[in-house]
Amino acid sequence: MQKKEQQKGKVNSVPHKLVKWLKNGNPYLWIGLFMTGVAVGLAVLGIFWTPYSTTEMSAAERFVGPSLKHLFGTDNFGRDIFSRVMEGAGITILISSLVVLFSGTLGILIGAVTGYMGGVVDELVMRVTDAVNGFPSILLALVMISIMGSGNQNLILSLGIVFTPSFVRIVRSEFIRLRDADYISRARLMGVGRLRILFVHILPNIFSTFWVSVMIGFNNGILAESGMSYLGIGVQPPEASLGKMLSDAQGYLMKAPWYALAPGLTIVWIVLGFSLLSEGIRRKS
Amino acid sequence: MVHIENLSVSFEDTDAVKNVNLNIAPGEILGVVGESGSGKSVTALTLMGLVSDEAVITSGKVVLDGEVLAEVGKPRDKALYRRYQGSRMSMIFQEPMTSLNPTKTVGAQIEEMLKLHTDLDKEARKNRVIESMESVGLKEAAKLYDCYPHELSGGMRQRVMIAMAVILHPDVIVADEPTTALDVTIQNQIITLLKEINTKEKNAMLFITHDLNLARRICDKIAVMKNGKVVESGKTEEIFEHPKEAYTKKLIEAVPSRMKPRGDGECEAVQGEADKKNAEPVVQVDNLNVYYNEKSGKLFGGNKRRCVVSDANFVINKGEILGLVGESGCGKSSLSKAVLGMNKNIEGSVRHSSVRPQMIFQDPYSSLNPSRTVSWLLQEPLRAAGKLDKSLQMSKEDRRAAAVEMLRMVGLDESYMNRKPSQLSGGQRQRISIGQALITRPGLVIADEPVSALDVTLQAQIMELMRRLQEELGVSYLFISHDINVVYQMCDRIMVMKAGRIVEQGKTEDIFNNPKEAYTELLLRES
Repeated sequence: MQKKEQQKGKVNSVPHKLVKWLKNGNPYLWIGLFMTGVAVGLAVLGIFWTPYSTTEMSAAERFVGPSLKHLFGTDNFGRDIFSRVMEGAGITILISSLVVLFSGTLGILIGAVTGYMGGVVDELVMRVTDAVNGFPSILLALVMISIMGSGNQNLILSLGIVFTPSFVRIVRSEFIRLRDADYISRARLMGVGRLRILFVHILPNIFSTFWVSVMIGFNNGILAESGMSYLGIGVQPPEASLGKMLSDAQGYLMKAPWYALAPGLTIVWIVLGFSLLSEGIRRKS
Repeated sequence: MVHIENLSVSFEDTDAVKNVNLNIAPGEILGVVGESGSGKSVTALTLMGLVSDEAVITSGKVVLDGEVLAEVGKPRDKALYRRYQGSRMSMIFQEPMTSLNPTKTVGAQIEEMLKLHTDLDKEARKNRVIESMESVGLKEAAKLYDCYPHELSGGMRQRVMIAMAVILHPDVIVADEPTTALDVTIQNQIITLLKEINTKEKNAMLFITHDLNLARRICDKIAVMKNGKVVESGKTEEIFEHPKEAYTKKLIEAVPSRMKPRGDGECEAVQGEADKKNAEPVVQVDNLNVYYNEKSGKLFGGNKRRCVVSDANFVINKGEILGLVGESGCGKSSLSKAVLGMNKNIEGSVRHSSVRPQMIFQDPYSSLNPSRTVSWLLQEPLRAAGKLDKSLQMSKEDRRAAAVEMLRMVGLDESYMNRKPSQLSGGQRQRISIGQALITRPGLVIADEPVSALDVTLQAQIMELMRRLQEELGVSYLFISHDINVVYQMCDRIMVMKAGRIVEQGKTEDIFNNPKEAYTELLLRES
């Protein structure tokens, strides 16, 4: 009975907490939340519904400028750019999220173990990450794609591998900082197992730092995915992606500037929104 | 000289200092005593003009030598303060580690004062710095001039700070807990030095401390502060002999002292019983040497093994509190870590009859996992024990019940279960820490300076709690402290450590009444 009441209390307090959390926020947080909210909202909506079909071509409506009918205008095949940006942003955000999920998880696993254990393993892993860091990241991803072949899965995998070292470094340094904390010494004295110390005792304490690096990683993911697609080795047509649209628009820069501006400004919007959001969260904690 | 009249300072909505009146005459030391958060530091910082910009003076004024430095309604006159700061008033801070710039030599840092406030040439400045360093008892000052702060010990650094503060012969010196971070013997030297300077230079000194014993030794007058108000002030002897306010009395009583009888009668009886069946050692340590590996600095130079504790022999019996006293760096913590098995780099033997001895740390802010609730923290030792030994496994409900019971035993109630450490005060955290250490009913708990970071009244409460739990649960403590008075109040037997060796051990009364070693005598005399 008591338990039930407690659970109920928890559910009720969540929105209340959220309101309080927002009230104590800062402009960075509010603006960041608004910008990412709009971007992610439209991108998610784009999966189910877009104002126009993203693939249907119309010879009569080529290069129509932005208007109320076509918010961002139309492209060289007469497709509605707003609809394509919605879809493209969705794919870009999805890929970037999966890249961060992949590299973040790997970063936690490797960083936790090497940071906590130290010694030879740590030394080896750090030199490997140094080697990976030594290459320009886009170049490395490019090489991997050309070996594995293109496709969204390979894109996520290669960007994930390229992004992992930065997460390893952050997680590792946090684990090194906390492994000698008094409360961890006490956990060891209690006889708590190693894995439990790593992931139950230490991990929750690094989240505030880790969260900021996830946000930065996500932004880099967006830029990297756009860059790769721009180079033609990312998302493959007919799927839309912000980078792909940019490269398509390149030839019509003078004739239809909105074609390039729409995906370009969308990238700026998303990246800026997430930067502000992460800054807002950082300042709050 | 210094005249603080009806001063109130507030931060946003909270009043940090309320209607404070203080007067310091030349050649006089005024002690401001109080617990943390009592407003003593804000008062001093306001006097110095160093209080942060959010602070607003809501009433009264600060007058130095007839000139009004700060007054209600007037914005802070930074130019005026700059004329006074350093040359006519200076400050000595608590942490000699952080109040010196690590990237500059100490000589250059002291010289900075002369550069800013005098027109002396380079040669003259250097001579004066060396002179000033010698005057605060720094030997070989010319050599120290080119040293960096990290090359000096804590006591030497504090002397450098004092040299910096007195080099321009200021009229006012504010010393904010200048000895709190130092060992007792060094503490004593610094206090003596400050007193000497005060007598010689006839300046007005404001001495802030939470340590009443210290204030008693150095101050001419004392003001006791609580919640931003001065509750009592007067001549030192008067305050100590005839305290008028209940709070002052409580403070004086809370100070661990050798003048007072130890423990209570009941306790002695238990002690007697323990003596009778004392054949039950919880830990037996024989010929223990503890080592640390020191990196040699070269890539393939290997490690040098440095001996930090040598030839330690002692036993801790069941239900006994064994005190371990010594200065910092003498090997107290290394010894305790070796006893706990946290340092395996040892020779000799440590035999436990109890499983999993636990530890209570000094800093209540770093010894509890900040991302967990009290309930989780108290249950975790039981979970861990259950994993290691199937027979100790408990159901969720039992664990929770045990946690609630422990919470009551340490003097808190069930409403604390869902709080996180950040929502607890220092004293409450230390209570949870103790609860966490005792919930598995270990035979031995090592307490490493468990009350050193706490205010006096809290100190007394925590010591009382630890004693009570020791009686109730029959646990033994190895109680480590640098404060010999605390040890006197707590312990049945005492070990004195110096430079890695146990120089003396015996019953508390014997050690205090007839110390055999010169070092023990020194420790007793200095505190």
